Parts: sequence; structure tokens; C-alpha cells
Amino acid sequence: MAAPHRVQALPGGARLVVESMPERHSTSVVLMFAGGSRLEDDRLGGVSHFIEHLYFKGTRRRPSSKEIADAIEGVGGFINASTDKELTAYWARVPSEHMNLGVDVLFDIVANSRLDPVDVEKERMVILDELRMYQDQPQEMVQNLFEELIWPGHPLGRDIAGTEESVSRLSRDDILEYADAHYRLPNLVVGAAGSLDVEQTVEGVAKSLSLRADMDGAVSPSAPAPLTGPRVLVRRRETEQAHICLGARALSYMHPDRYALDLLNTVLGEGMSSRLFLNIRERLSLAYDVHSFTQKHRDTGYLGVYIGVDPKKAVDAVNAVLVELRGLGETEVSADELARAKEFTKGRLRLELETTNGVAFWLTYQELLLGEIKTIEEELTLVDAVTASDLKRVADQVLSGPLQMSVIGPFARDSGFRLAIGA
Amino acid sequence: MAGRAAAEGIRKAIALVNSVADEAGDEEITPTEIAEAIRDCLELSEVDEVPNVRRYLGEALDAVSDGMPADFVAMTLYAALGALREGTPH
Repeated sequence: MAAPHRVQALPGGARLVVESMPERHSTSVVLMFAGGSRLEDDRLGGVSHFIEHLYFKGTRRRPSSKEIADAIEGVGGFINASTDKELTAYWARVPSEHMNLGVDVLFDIVANSRLDPVDVEKERMVILDELRMYQDQPQEMVQNLFEELIWPGHPLGRDIAGTEESVSRLSRDDILEYADAHYRLPNLVVGAAGSLDVEQTVEGVAKSLSLRADMDGAVSPSAPAPLTGPRVLVRRRETEQAHICLGARALSYMHPDRYALDLLNTVLGEGMSSRLFLNIRERLSLAYDVHSFTQKHRDTGYLGVYIGVDPKKAVDAVNAVLVELRGLGETEVSADELARAKEFTKGRLRLELETTNGVAFWLTYQELLLGEIKTIEEELTLVDAVTASDLKRVADQVLSGPLQMSVIGPFARDSGFRLAIGA
Repeated sequence: MAGRAAAEGIRKAIALVNSVADEAGDEEITPTEIAEAIRDCLELSEVDEVPNVRRYLGEALDAVSDGMPADFVAMTLYAALGALREGTPH
């Protein structure tokens, strides 16, 4: 069966991925650039995120943020962007007859932004407020601290938005130079999905390409150094709840066992039928919020567990979570539990791909990061092929690495936490 | 649960610590009484049947000696109690 999408090489080294979804009313367009905060050194920490904010402040044709928003919202559409550790994405979802407008506005903001010095200073204040806001959100902050432990001294371990110090120091010249180096056509994958004509889309996008084609100054990301042992980081705060993240380095999104890792994560801590929820919350009543999560990058990743818990029960809850983690590497999950995890994973993927935005992101992400696109049927087949012994093997592999744990709460000492993970 | 006597002893110590933390009760609980309750637990051979229970009790005793907040002592005792629970098959 032919794939429902088409990949088209564009002039200058950019690529277009397009899928027709004729029954929909909308079309979504994504411009996704390889890069993100991983490519920044300490001095430039947060520059990708800063640029993403600034691109919405005005272009030569649409000189203010209001005019950019009006262009898309005037037809009922949505426009937004996000910066990640390995990519930056700009997207618009519009009624299908306005797809060319969406393409035009997106290329306008990434190619013709004014980067007005006044806007740079205003946006710097906004980002510094954003960074300070995270300090008041321990659930977010504890994950940032956890990532510092997982990738110490590496850009992957730094907040995508940078630090107060780096953001305060970034100059307009730094921003212009970084944008010029990274917003180039070979770094770009355009995705489009919705009720569109494929040929017209290829033609329309090809006409809009107004970025530089050469790749002078491209930087390859460095790999994080191996971890030397288990570590605990306690940030003392007089919070009512203790917030804890613990986990270990896991697999990259290129690893063939990534499907087994995702199923392992589902069994462990996704949803109200997971082991962590049933055992830590329901059976032992140790924590109100307990769940697991993964993050994957090109050459690394992690499996983590978040616990929100009464400070008095914090170490007890950590130990109970460790029992669940160890159990995954000791005994194979039951056929029933594996089957439920597969249905959960497959169902979530299908739901994600109901919208034109979901499909556009799914295709673009795969083309940019993986260099190939699997159809949903191929993806579901790979999920179905995972066995209980694969899960046990992956659990064993991941959990044999040194555990890392970050804690925010009213703790004067870290000794109990260190004892729990042997740090 | 492994070490029923140890579990009861740890619960007693937790109750003393919690009454300090909650500022409840008519009589004032002294650190010496809490330390005594923890030492009673440490004298039970059961605490060696499950890994880490003795170490958590030792940490709790150190915390009392060092004048650490009652909640911190309670946390360490709960960890010892939890370790006993985890020493027993579910």
C-alpha cells in the first residue's frame, strides 16, 4: 500500500512532507528547524528560545505582533511556536482555503523578522519573568534539576529558556548571528497536512523559500559524557509537598528498543491503571501524584518518575518506587498487562493523529529527526512486535545505570535520599 | 510484614515525633524520649533482617541528636517502616 504522505526535496536543501486529508476543514503547516537549545554553549544559553519569541514581534511586511496575529486570527486560524532541545517549530492551522496565507506568514516571520533593538529588550524582560515563574513551580523545576543531574554540564541538562545570567547577557548581535547560522534551508523541514492539493502545496512552499541555502557555521551536537554514579540534588524550599524526580539514562529515539521502552513506561507509570498509580497511590496511599515519563534525544534519553508526596513520607515513597522499578527488571510483565499497555500506546497514537496539526507534526518530526517516515500502520506493527522479554531486557539495561534524584521540599539534609539510591 | 515488633517500635517512635511536630498532647515530649524509642528499635535483631532498616534508624537517631526538625526525623522513621514493609512479599 502506498504511503499516504509524500516527501519532496525543495531547492536549497529544504524538504517538504505533505499529506492530503481531504475530509478535514483545516490545513496545518509546520516549519521545523533542526537545532534547539542543545546546540547552544553556556554563553548563548536560551538564544534559540529568545529568537522564537522575537520572531513574533514583527516583520518588515507585518511590523508588529498584532499584525502577525491578525493575519492568521483574521481567518480564524491559530499560529504558535515552540523551542525544544533539538528543534524549533513554527506552525499555523488555518481553514484550508487559507493555506497559502499560513505558509506566507510563517516564512515571513522566520525570514523577514525586524529584530528591533527595542523589542529585544522588551522580550528579554518577558523571558526573565518566565524563568523566575518556573522558580515558583516546583513540579516544573524539579524536572529541570533532574535533567541537570542526568546530563551534567551539557546543554541537554540546561533549561531550554537558558539561565537568568545567559539571557541577561545575550546581545542583539549574538541573536542575529545565531539566527543567521541556524535558520537556513538545509536545516528546514516543512510539513503540511489537511485538505490540500499536493502539487499546489509543493509549488506554493517552493516559491516561499527565502532563507539562505548554504550551511556555513553549522555546529554538530556533542554527546553527553557517561554518568559516574548515583547522585542526589536537594533544593530546600518550605513547600507543603515534596517534589521528587528520580530515574536513569535510557534510550535515544534512534534505538530499536525505543518501542519497548515506551511500553515499559506505560506499564510503570502512565495512567490510572499503571503500577505506580495502583501501588504507590491506591494500595500504599503514599503519594497523590506519581507517574513516569521518558525523554528521548538523538543519542541519549531517560526514564524518570515524578512523585508529589507529603514530606514526611518522601523517602518511604522513593523506596516504594524503587521496588516497582526493580520489579520490572526481575520479572516479565504478564501477557494481560503487556496487551493493555500496547492498546494504550496504540490508542494514544491514533488520537494524536486525528487532527491536521497532529499529522503535520508527526510527519515533520520524523523526517527532521529520524530521516525517514513510518506510516501509522508500520508504527503500530512495531509496537505489536514487542515482547514481555524485551521489556524485561530493556528494564534491566536502563536500571543497571546509576540512578539520579532531584528533590524540592523542606529538607535540611539529603542523607535519607542518598541512602535510598546508594548515592 | 517482616519484623512485627520492630514495626510496632518504629510506629511508637513516629507517634512521639508526630506529637512534637503537631504540637499536640498535654505533656511535652523530649528529644530524649524519642531517642529512647529509636534505641529500643535498634536493639531488636529484626531490624537486621531487612536491608537499610538499621541505617534509617541510625539516621533518625543522628537527626534527633543534631536537633533536626521533627518532620525530618519522622521522614526517616517512615523510611525505616517502609523498608520493613518492602521486606515482606506483597
